[in-house]
Amino acid sequence: MSNIAGKAYAMNVITPIRSYLTWVNKLIFWAAVKVPGVLTGLVTLSLIHYARWVIIPKDKFPHLDPSQPKENLNYNYMLFFSNFNGSWDQYVDSFTFAIPGGLDLFWKWNIRYSKSVALTPFHDYIRYNQLETIHYYNAYPLAASNDVKSAKTVKSSLIQFEKDTQTVSDEEFLKLYNGLLRGLQHDLGDMYPTPIVTMSAYQVERRQKWHEGKLAEAGENHGK
Amino acid sequence: MTKKLDLLDIQGNVIRAYGRFGYPVARYVCLNVRDGAKGREFVGSISKKVTTAVEWGDGPGKMKQPDWTINISFTYQGLKDLGVPTSSLIGFSPEFVSGMKARRDILGDDGPSSPQHWDPIWQRNRETRENDVHILVSINALAGQGLDWLKTAEKNRDQAYKWFQGEVDKTKGGVVILDGHLGDNGEQFKYQDAKIVLDNGKPTSKEHFGYTDGISDPVFEGVPYDENRVKGRGKQIPGGKWAPLATGEFLLGHVDEAMEYPPSPEPVLLSRNGTYMVYRKLHENVATFDRYLEEQGSKFPGGKELLAAKFVGRWRDNGAPLVKAPDAESKAKYDAQFAAADEQGKDDLLSDFTYDDDMSGGKCPFSSHIRRINPRASLEMIHEEAGFTPLGAFLSLFLPPSWLGMFKKAGDKPGSLKVSKGAFNTPGALSDRRRLLRRGLPYGEVKDRTRDDGNHGIIIMMVNADINRQFEFVQQQWINYGNDFKAGNDKEIILGNHSLDDKFPSKAVLQVDPNSDQAPFLLSDIPRLVETRGGEYFFIPSITALHMIARGVVDPT
Ligand code: HEM
Repeated sequence: MSNIAGKAYAMNVITPIRSYLTWVNKLIFWAAVKVPGVLTGLVTLSLIHYARWVIIPKDKFPHLDPSQPKENLNYNYMLFFSNFNGSWDQYVDSFTFAIPGGLDLFWKWNIRYSKSVALTPFHDYIRYNQLETIHYYNAYPLAASNDVKSAKTVKSSLIQFEKDTQTVSDEEFLKLYNGLLRGLQHDLGDMYPTPIVTMSAYQVERRQKWHEGKLAEAGENHGK
Repeated sequence: MTKKLDLLDIQGNVIRAYGRFGYPVARYVCLNVRDGAKGREFVGSISKKVTTAVEWGDGPGKMKQPDWTINISFTYQGLKDLGVPTSSLIGFSPEFVSGMKARRDILGDDGPSSPQHWDPIWQRNRETRENDVHILVSINALAGQGLDWLKTAEKNRDQAYKWFQGEVDKTKGGVVILDGHLGDNGEQFKYQDAKIVLDNGKPTSKEHFGYTDGISDPVFEGVPYDENRVKGRGKQIPGGKWAPLATGEFLLGHVDEAMEYPPSPEPVLLSRNGTYMVYRKLHENVATFDRYLEEQGSKFPGGKELLAAKFVGRWRDNGAPLVKAPDAESKAKYDAQFAAADEQGKDDLLSDFTYDDDMSGGKCPFSSHIRRINPRASLEMIHEEAGFTPLGAFLSLFLPPSWLGMFKKAGDKPGSLKVSKGAFNTPGALSDRRRLLRRGLPYGEVKDRTRDDGNHGIIIMMVNADINRQFEFVQQQWINYGNDFKAGNDKEIILGNHSLDDKFPSKAVLQVDPNSDQAPFLLSDIPRLVETRGGEYFFIPSITALHMIARGVVDPT
């Protein structure tokens, strides 16, 4: 079991919220995606693949089988689900350094929320309410979200370049080629495994195998 | 600055980079404690002479600048063997407990930087009790006036060392000096010497690749003699202004940038005014550096010296920052201004800059040393695609998109990034918690620039309140990886643990102005320029804590 797959980390945090305050949170969620600027901080933090907040009413938790005991919940719950690059610390810290106000806006109505600054109580709050990931599938384990975005930019730019250069002169070709590279100057990073973010024996061993080219035997040495 | 620190309680090396204050030579000595009681007695006698951070000069509350300084710090094993109780030991950070060698995968110390290539003293450390480094003592010596400036410094150092050796001898084997710092010809020394780099016998502020060093160093609250140095060294706040960083980023027992006390061992008296230090011996491959610079410099449009500046973010000759002097023409102007400026003016020219006008990296590349290690406010960056303006986005809630043509924007120029204004709580939010105080000096002499081997590099000592959050993060995420800089796995040019595998060579992109007609320069096949030769994590206690350790009265109950 691990919260980590390749370069991505999966985080699930579930926190109780009083039923009569739930609508406030829903309103905030609605407004946040509509009103320009509210999510700028989140978007600027380039380590995030994906983040989603959902409210689960207390009577809407999955009940899969009649044999599953019925639970009697006192609160509604807010599920926060995110995939990001880097370590837990890097992510949680970036959030609190960069957008403490945004965090507080979303979590303020949750029971026992500590506020995002100071850091340690916030760390404790997240850890306490985090659900460990039991299974985590990652289609592109070597890619950070920036790598995916860059790859898409490189691809579309190349296709366009090919179209634009069918009939041009040599000088014009060079000019367009330089323009192509210039336009892609923030999209040309290499793609290899990250420095390991955990010292768990499992991750350290995998890294060693990658260096030795032995992960391939397990069908896992992407590109090597 | 309103806060005033208790300078008498803080060790001098935390606050001062001695090199800047006229101390051109240093000696670092590692000790092993064989007998706890004698060890404590030894700590007691050293602590009487330990150099504090108190102001130098005449007048109340100041003291005369000493001929030599002495400072002392401890590893986890050292504290344990000196009798610090478990209830205190468990409060130290996990990285400090594990030590640098155990953290090599995090630090990227692989290939020629891996522990089997470290100096014997660092290889033997943490293998058997007798060879563990317990204590690090550092001595810095003041230069004299006139022609004999260096000889005087060496005399001061020898005098200090002699006194120190006397104190070790008094322990009758209770504390021993460890051997195994490699010298010029493979011999093993009982100390690591370090010294500024000389040019024809004259002092310089260079390191062995030829760069001017020792300019930037964080300024934080409570240090009286740093008030004029805050521009470019503190934290960047809105409006291109600067403020000193919170003290707790560099000293335990003080509030940090997250408005809390950094995690510290108990009791408070043990940790307050103390901090952590990262000691690293870094070898510089000068021949490889020269060859690589020559080879790439002949292809680089701006020529060799500009390329050298692109590696670090500053010109080699006088340290002029690239964002102020991005090409030969602006450099000439800068130099003239620099020559005419007074002391404060010179310092501002060197230090007072931001990356706000260079968000795309056309002047100072994203993979250069100083931009990677202290990005200032430049991580608050964004590239906007074509789409609606904010007003258009709002109107699109009510109106069909086809009506809103005039509320569309073209998107940013390809290859450009800009400040994502107001995105973060403060412009430097992602940098302010990653800052490092730099101490230490170059070591060794380059005798033959056509060879990499030999004994020359930098002894770098980084001081921070949280090794994991500050030093290790920078080393791992910003030096050996590039995602935060939209550079994928591209590493920092000078320090990165560049690939040794021909199939996966290291490279970096040197950006250009997105409005120009140039192409970015692709720096290919970057070799390893710097290799780790050893190091360890230390705790620098306050003077109070030193006395407590010496008397064996550390007790959190
Ligand atoms: C042999 C290895 C190294 C060399 C040759 C080197 C060289 C330099 C040079 C020339 C500068 C610019 C001068 C200045 O701003 O003071 C600099 C700045 C700096 N270096 Fe290094 N350095 C080395 C290792 C390191 C390491 C290992 C770290 C930390 C992980 C580090 C951290 C810094 C920091 C924090 C700055 C100041 C950046 C700023 O605030 O703008 N250096 N270094």
